Amino acid sequence: MDYTERMARLTARKIAQTREKQERLGARDEDDYGLVLPPASFKVELPVRDATGQWSGPRAWAANFRWLMENHPCYIDPDDAIAGRWMFMLSRMRLGYQLSRSNFAFDYSSLEPLQKKYDITTGIGKDAHFAPDYKIGLELGWGGLVEKVRATRLRFRGRAAARPAGDDADETAYAIELMDAEESAILGVMAWTRRLAAAADDRAMTEDDPVRRENLVETAKTCYKIVEARPETFREAVQWIAIFNMASRTYNRDGAGGQLDELLRPYYERDKAAGILTDEDAEFYVFCLLLNDPHYYQIGGPSADGRDQTSRMSYIILDAAAKLKSSCNLTIRVWDGMDRALFRRGVEILLENRLGYPRFSGDKALVEGFMRNGYSAELARSRIAVGCNWMSLPGLEYTLNDVVKINIAKVFEVAFAESDSLESLEAAYRRHFKAAVEVTAKGIDFHLAHQYLNEPELMLNLLSHGPVEKGRDVSHGGAQYYNMAIDGAGLAVVADSFGAIEERVVREGAVSFAQLKSAVASDFGGEDGERVRRIMAASGRYGAGGTAADRWAGKLTEILVAEIAGRTTPDGFKLIPGWFTWADTIRFGKSVGATPNGRRAGEPISHGANPLPGFRKDGALTAMAAAIASVQPGYGNTAPWQLEVDVGLANDSTAVEKIMALIDGHFKLGGTLVNINVVDAEKILAAHKDPSKFPDLVVRVTGFTAYFNSLSPAFRELVVKRLVREEGFSR
Amino acid sequence: MRGVVFDIRRGVAKDGPGLRTSVFLKGCPLRCVWCHNPESQSPQIERAATTGEICGREMSVADVMEEVLRDRIFYESSSGGVTLTGGEPMMQADFTFALASSARSEGVHVALDTSGFAPWPAFEKMMSVVNLFLYDLKCMDAARHRELTGADNCTILDNLLRLDAAGAKTWLRFPLAPGLNDSPEDIAALRNFVAGLRNVEKTEICPYHPLGLEKYVKFGRKVLYDNPEYASAKDVARWEAALRGFA
Repeated sequence: MDYTERMARLTARKIAQTREKQERLGARDEDDYGLVLPPASFKVELPVRDATGQWSGPRAWAANFRWLMENHPCYIDPDDAIAGRWMFMLSRMRLGYQLSRSNFAFDYSSLEPLQKKYDITTGIGKDAHFAPDYKIGLELGWGGLVEKVRATRLRFRGRAAARPAGDDADETAYAIELMDAEESAILGVMAWTRRLAAAADDRAMTEDDPVRRENLVETAKTCYKIVEARPETFREAVQWIAIFNMASRTYNRDGAGGQLDELLRPYYERDKAAGILTDEDAEFYVFCLLLNDPHYYQIGGPSADGRDQTSRMSYIILDAAAKLKSSCNLTIRVWDGMDRALFRRGVEILLENRLGYPRFSGDKALVEGFMRNGYSAELARSRIAVGCNWMSLPGLEYTLNDVVKINIAKVFEVAFAESDSLESLEAAYRRHFKAAVEVTAKGIDFHLAHQYLNEPELMLNLLSHGPVEKGRDVSHGGAQYYNMAIDGAGLAVVADSFGAIEERVVREGAVSFAQLKSAVASDFGGEDGERVRRIMAASGRYGAGGTAADRWAGKLTEILVAEIAGRTTPDGFKLIPGWFTWADTIRFGKSVGATPNGRRAGEPISHGANPLPGFRKDGALTAMAAAIASVQPGYGNTAPWQLEVDVGLANDSTAVEKIMALIDGHFKLGGTLVNINVVDAEKILAAHKDPSKFPDLVVRVTGFTAYFNSLSPAFRELVVKRLVREEGFSR
Repeated sequence: MRGVVFDIRRGVAKDGPGLRTSVFLKGCPLRCVWCHNPESQSPQIERAATTGEICGREMSVADVMEEVLRDRIFYESSSGGVTLTGGEPMMQADFTFALASSARSEGVHVALDTSGFAPWPAFEKMMSVVNLFLYDLKCMDAARHRELTGADNCTILDNLLRLDAAGAKTWLRFPLAPGLNDSPEDIAALRNFVAGLRNVEKTEICPYHPLGLEKYVKFGRKVLYDNPEYASAKDVARWEAALRGFA
């Protein structure tokens, strides 16, 4: 039995598990996350809940998390080099949880009227969405981490004893409670790791197949070793990362990864030199790590001092991902000094597998952009793509990436209602956008002032530089840097609306402003409304190149940047702008009435920085690449290009070169992140009709990949609409 | 100088090397029975009979170049460029020459996609500004060529021989339609002719597709080859084998 057979069996089981999840949980418009279902008999009995089903504060979170860890079912697969799968998400177990609105123990109703007016996703109470530095954990192990926590607690206990009524008594008391909680969380993870080891041992006793038995024995040995000690071998390091990931997922869905090639390289080189690891072993272990959970890992790119980080490890990770054939969020960092062969191999895999990975980040624009916030080149080069759209400095930065959004289609709607000309509309938009940013910034301050009491980051604190040392939660002074993300959503809808008004109302006079307002108010009802809709919808679109809408997209970006970049919240936290909608296009669309670009009330808004489908008759990928590059805010956060390429182009003998050229061109123009689906349009259409026939079809929905059959019909429809069809020969 | 253009497509992955912008010039002297761009045939701007859609617009060289240069960075990253196509771009030879000259002066690679049916002096002039000729060969038999396209192939073959002798770089393209120009004899004749050329860099088959059929109705043209089926993969494989000399 070789690794190929084991990989095939593991992938098949993953597909079966995905099917079970869909059957039991229904459609989930989210990342696959790697979780599996618990046994049906398993009952969650969290020890701390108040009468309303809520809990908050370090002590309560730690108690509940520890209960979950100490009771978490132990998943063991004899083919898998890694023990465990995660099954629960504690942060979603508070009663009344909604993805769009977090439970929050503190009242911010004074902000809510304006937040609702502009349909702002506030980020208040949102967790994770910044990156850990795995090196901290790999160097200390759980035993080292718990010692570090205890040392801090001792220090704060000393302070409490010395100054029981000092000005900092509350802070000191919190630090002690936080360290108690951290200790409890770690002990919970250690207990689960120990139980996983025992479960692997037990399973080995009854396993007949010698290869599997040996694997189970090795798994048990690995887990026993890393219960306390720091990992020393490659396999131990991989298992340690997986344990942290699963525990952190169980705590609050954290899915940030890291620079995986550099994290694993020292273990790889050491084990290879010692003759205890082959490349095939390493590839299989990484395969198991990627299968375990689709965290956002990077490979390649520049080191802090500007050298290319590509190593043999980068290729092993890429090859493991190629064999995975499942949901995966691996990013290749593309930059001037890179090993082009890594880039090429990434594109080849993208075209061969057609599973939406790897994706590609544009480090030149990202590094230069982040430096505009006043940071050094060394720091900027260390900032990596660790989520759907997000950038973060591992272990150093708190960001609320991808969870703070202003629906600019809603801002536009408010402005449009009180305008009677293009000039007054622009002025009103600017005014309302400014107000929207102000209330968003106040919401961020509110979050930063209270989140540590609501939901401390017990897991991510451990792998951050500061929280344990300072006795402060990462959301409340524990991190070294606070660069709070605010993303605009709905760019194309608003740019096309402004452009259509300029073209049809102002320039051509085909429709009067009053007629347009009346038609929009009636959702383009009646014959006249439909006539107006057609006229407006046929105007030049954002993305076509040289249209009024293109100019407006540029102007909207200038407005976004002017109000956010270089600014701070009232409490002094830096803000960074981006364009990104995540999977919220449908929800955002529902809150917005008809818009002057011909969009009807309630229809989804546009996706990220992408033009709307049909932006050009030829669907030109170069036009899309240039348009999206032109609206980059340019401060180190992304405005990703979500690209669907039809399989026809992928079949071209020069497809690899052409896709590389597209990505290169986009990045040279200032692009930051490219998420690509290579799709067989016919297959997608057939799967849209009957997803159960295509259980292994994986697509990149936005920043994340997911099994197509796990998406709701409305989300599948969005993927279908984005398809870019191959253009035939001109002659 | 102004010309009549009926479409500009960006990001075209075919029609020459790399990523390209294809500029479609209106007007063609041939009437190929399988033509899938019937709206390109008349040199005049026209309105679709059924939808009222206008086909063609007058553009200056600067207008076209503004659009072409939008993708300059992708030409550089992919070794692509602009392809002047149609219709038959040589029907607007002066405008085509001006476009090609302008593109070359901007450092943009120029491909000319042509049927070859134009006076030699126009081609001779074009050689100084065109990097690559995408040259159609449809049928070697003069009489049948006339039946299928409305003109015989003497001028076409003569121009190709002259271009080749002058060292012009060429990609030959064979539009093949089942039952029309794809007999073993037809393909053997093409193969034999091509064997005598020295500067052909690449040959490619353009298999028949029916996507243009509905445009005949739209633009009030009579359908001359009413075949709703795509050329099959089997046909294409047979043609490719025959061109390599294995059939």
